Formats: sequence, C-alpha cells, structure tokens
Amino acid sequence: MATMSFREALNAALDEEMARDPKVFLMGEEVGQYQGAYKVSQGLLEKFGADRVVDTPITELSFAGVGIGSAMLGLRPIIEMMTFNFSILALDQIINNAAKMRLMSGGQYTVPIVFRGPNGPAHMLSAQHSQATESWFCNIPGLKVVAPSTPNDGKGLLKAAIRDDDPVIFLESELMYNMKGEVSDAADYVLPLGKCDVKRAGKDVTLISFSKGIHHALGAAEALAQDGVEAEVIDLMTLRPLDMETIARSVKKTNRVVTVEEGWPYGGIGAELAYRIQHDLFDYLDAPVTRVTGLDVPMPYAENLEELVLPSPRDVILAVNTVMYRS
Amino acid sequence: MRPANARQLNLVQAVNEALAMALAADPDVVVMGQDVGRFGGVFRATADLFERFGEDRVLDTPMNESGLVGAAIGMALYGMRPVAEIPFADQMLAGFDQIVGELSRYRYRTAGQFACPVTLRLPYGAGVGGGMYHSLSPEAYLVHTPGLVVVCPSTPADAKGLLLSAIRSDDPVVFLEPKALYRRAGGPVPEGDAGVPLGRARKVRDGDDVTLVAWGAMVPVCEEAARQAAADGVECAIIDPRTLWPLDLDAITQSVAETGRCVIVHEAPRTGGLGGEIAALVQEHCFLHLEAPIMRVAGFDTPVPHALEHVYLPTPQRVLAAIEATVAY
Repeated sequence: MATMSFREALNAALDEEMARDPKVFLMGEEVGQYQGAYKVSQGLLEKFGADRVVDTPITELSFAGVGIGSAMLGLRPIIEMMTFNFSILALDQIINNAAKMRLMSGGQYTVPIVFRGPNGPAHMLSAQHSQATESWFCNIPGLKVVAPSTPNDGKGLLKAAIRDDDPVIFLESELMYNMKGEVSDAADYVLPLGKCDVKRAGKDVTLISFSKGIHHALGAAEALAQDGVEAEVIDLMTLRPLDMETIARSVKKTNRVVTVEEGWPYGGIGAELAYRIQHDLFDYLDAPVTRVTGLDVPMPYAENLEELVLPSPRDVILAVNTVMYRS
Repeated sequence: MRPANARQLNLVQAVNEALAMALAADPDVVVMGQDVGRFGGVFRATADLFERFGEDRVLDTPMNESGLVGAAIGMALYGMRPVAEIPFADQMLAGFDQIVGELSRYRYRTAGQFACPVTLRLPYGAGVGGGMYHSLSPEAYLVHTPGLVVVCPSTPADAKGLLLSAIRSDDPVVFLEPKALYRRAGGPVPEGDAGVPLGRARKVRDGDDVTLVAWGAMVPVCEEAARQAAADGVECAIIDPRTLWPLDLDAITQSVAETGRCVIVHEAPRTGGLGGEIAALVQEHCFLHLEAPIMRVAGFDTPVPHALEHVYLPTPQRVLAAIEATVAY
C-alpha cells in the first residue's frame, strides 16, 4: 500500500488506463496545459501528448457530444466536467445520446464514456457551484453512477469506469481531493462497479451513504460506539445500479436504517433507498427508514448558513436515536 | 358531480381556455414559445390566441430552449407573467441550466426582492408514439430542485384551474401536461376563471382496501384498475396529488392510515422516480399502519421505446397485479 491523496489516486488511474489502452483519451476545460482545474490531470499532457489530452472551449454541450461521437466510433473518452454543476449544460447530450444510444441502435453502438469531475457542495461556492447532481442522473436508464469516498476506491472504480462499455457518471468531491489514504499498489487494481463496501461493521443500525457523506456516517459511528451503539456503515460506491444484496444482508441484521447524503431531500438518493428497503425487507424493519440530507434550499453563500444546510455527524446521531427509539 | 355552468371540453381545449382567460384578465401575461403564435401550438394548445391577442402578447420564439427560459426569466423580473411552452418535455433538457440555475432560485438568491412568476408549460410523457426523444416524464429531475412548483393535471377541469393558479402564482411553476390525454374523452369544465389551488391533492375515488397514488396520464389507468379490482371485491382509493411539489402528503397519509396498503403508479422510469420519494414519506409517516410493503408500478428502466411503448407504459393489468400482491401479502 502507498499513501496518496485522492487527486493523486485519480491521476494514477487515468495514467495507467491511458498507458494500457491507446483508445483512452481525456478531454475537457483546462485538462491539458493548465494540468486540470483541480490538478487531477497533472503531467498527462506531457506524457501522452495533445492528441490524447485535449483542451476544449467552455462549451459542455459540444465537448460532451464530441466525446459521445468518438465513443460510438470505438474510442474510450474520459470527459472532465470542471465541476458537475456545468454538466447541467450538457444534460441533453448525456441523457438523450449517451444514455440512449445503446438501446436505440439495438446494441449496434455502445458508448464507453466516462464523465468525471467534482460534484456536490464544497465550501462557500453558493447556489450555482454547490449542487449535488447524483439524483438527476440516477433516474436515467442507461447510465451508471459512481461516487467513491476514499482514494483507494477512487482509483479502483475509475479504472473500472473507463473499462466499462456503458456511459458512467463518476462523481468526485472538491473537498476530498487533498484527502490522503492508503491506496493498493497492486499492478492492476480494479474494483467492480455495482458493489457496495462495508466500511465499518456493526449490529445495531445500518448507515448507508456515499462520497463525502461516508465520513459523516463514520464520524457518527465512532461517537455512537462510545455510547454502546454499533453502527454498520455501508458505502454505496455505485449509486446506479444499487447493490441491494449487501444492503439486505446488513438490514436483516440491524433492522434499522439511516441514509446520509449532502444533496436535496425531495427525490434524493435516500428516497430510492427507502423504497427499495421497505419493499424488499418489510418484515425486517423495526423503524421507518430515516433520511439525513441537505436542506431543501439552494445553497447559501454565507458560511454559517452553509453549515446549517449541510448534514453533520450530529444529524446522523439524532437520526440513529430516532430509529432506535432512544432519547 | 357536474359543476355548475360546466361544459364538456377536452384537456387541450381546457388549457387553451385558461391561457385565453389569463391573457384577457391581465395585460402582464404573455404567451411565448416555438410555434405558439401563427401556427397555434404544436398540439394546438395556443390555437387562435395570436389572432385574438396579437403579436405583442403571443410570441413565436426560435428553437432555443435555454434562450426561451432565460428570456421568460428576464421578463418576469421586470414584472410580467410569461407563460412559456416547450412543446416536448424532453427539450427542457436544453434549457435545464436556466431552469435550475436561475428560474428556481431567483427569489431565494435575492432574499425575496425578485419574484420569478414564470409558468413553464411542458407537454410530457409517452402514449402517442413519440419514441425516445419525445416521450420523457421529467418530474423526478424537476421536483428534486428546490424552488420549483411542479404541477400535473389529469382532467380538463384541473388543467384549466391549475393553469390559472400557476400563471397567477409568484413562484415559478413547471406545468406538466399529459399529452396522451389531450384529446381523450373530455370532462366538465367550469366556465369562470376561478383557479384550482396549488398544493392540494384530488381524491379521485374512495376505497377502504388499497390506496393508489398516481398523476397525469396514469390516473385513468388507475381508475380502470380500480374498476376491475372492485369486481373482485377490493375497493381502491385513488389520490391524484396534482401538485408534485409541494406534495399534499396529508391527503396520501390519511388514506394510507385507513387502507394500510399503498401502490404508487408513474410512467417515468422506476429507479430514482418520484415514486421513491412518496414511498419514503409514506413509510416514514405511516409505518405502524402499513400492512404490506409499498409497491410501485412504473415505466421500465429503459428509454421509452417506439415500437414497444405499450409494453413500457404501466397498464391497468400491471396495476391490478400490484393491488393483488399488496392485498395478498
């Protein structure tokens, strides 16, 4: 194992996949000469050249479309969204072409493309640069949606996403790029898409989260353990398709579920989880599935208000108390 | 019950009547969109409005959804009440940045200094052979965005009354019109220009055994399923939320508290759809009343196919199977 930042782990995944397969290329705003708005593509232009690390104008719709076209013709593009807030401008291409092409063509075309970049709230970036976009993508048939929470998972899942023949939305977090962690130094470290990971074992309550939310859940679990409550923390890693098997195994043991996410509550990831869990595990539940989310408002700029909007480990603890009928 | 002074209109005629009344009653109301003027609307929802109200009030716009929504926002900020039509909800995606980034949050961003009273009319959904680019049910993307009121009528009377309320609301309203119902059998529509309140559900049918929740074009599908279930002695209540955000949760939970069983029906793809949210709320608020898991009957997790549309869309038979499964649980 080597210690690496999230940024370095993602960079290593890009580097390894581009070296392995000449069809893989990176395209986006500032990915080349500037080395990436968040330096995830550091050094790649020098190593692979301007044919494979392509700087684009500020026009998400068109470079998403160019990427989709190149994927249909056999390349494996990685499209960097400087932030996923800007992917909204490319939604028409992502939903109407990337997600639908395989079905529309009766399987004659696949679209092996990765859209990646930072998603969700960072710090004092206000309403238009703090959006958690995962719920929009998770209602779209044809897409896979991935959101890792550690550098190790980031590396293994990004490599899997690049190798996948379907379009993958790969959601990173600006606030986690500097986070350090142990990363496997196996020669070719790939994690499967569509599988959860149990980040902490426990028997009393299941906390389900992804991306930055995992760290709120783990923080809450530590505090709860002091109090004699053992929380199991499940990292979804892939938000679509959901790995219900791992979730079911945990819920059958704990009978209680709290979901944790930073996005908006109404129609969020927690809603889909609540439906699936009550549907599949009705007789195992001792309490309603309870959701911890961001508040249902555009993100305010002021730091104190942003703090109020975002969920915290304390909110998770309160929700655990509710589902355990503790005061 | 037949309301006083009601005539039979179909849904698209009811929309047209509401637009004409809103234009006549308030000089700040403007209708705009692709082909809404001289052509009278892709679905004829704006027929004759151009002739009656003129080119200053009924504006043909280029094929540029982002521009359309952006222009409507600007007009609303200056005190007008634009009613913008995007003829297929799928094309909303090309204007989604304006919808999410500006329309939904102007009021919030300016601490209430600017309201943004835009009504965005979106004919939506499958059932007319529109194929993969002209059949989208986008409610899950819309309701997830704070600040947007999302409305979806299922009858001509509601289409007229809710559209009048939407145009007169100071908040942005996305008004989803089930195009599959535009010309189906009509219904009684009151003559006056009274609105139907936003945020209130309609109880379509009473029943003690199972609560069905559905909106738009799925309401008649549930009515047919409920008729068939009644023949087997199972009485279904049907709740049409009519406004998808803010949701009239009380109407749903009161019914589920009586029936203990709930089936949610929508034509959007199942995973990540609005059915998940409603189920999450119902299990949270009715946990001890539930006799069986909440079920959903939805479009499949595929784009809407052209040839197999009838297989993709929920049918009375699929709803009936869910009703039977929840009763037998």
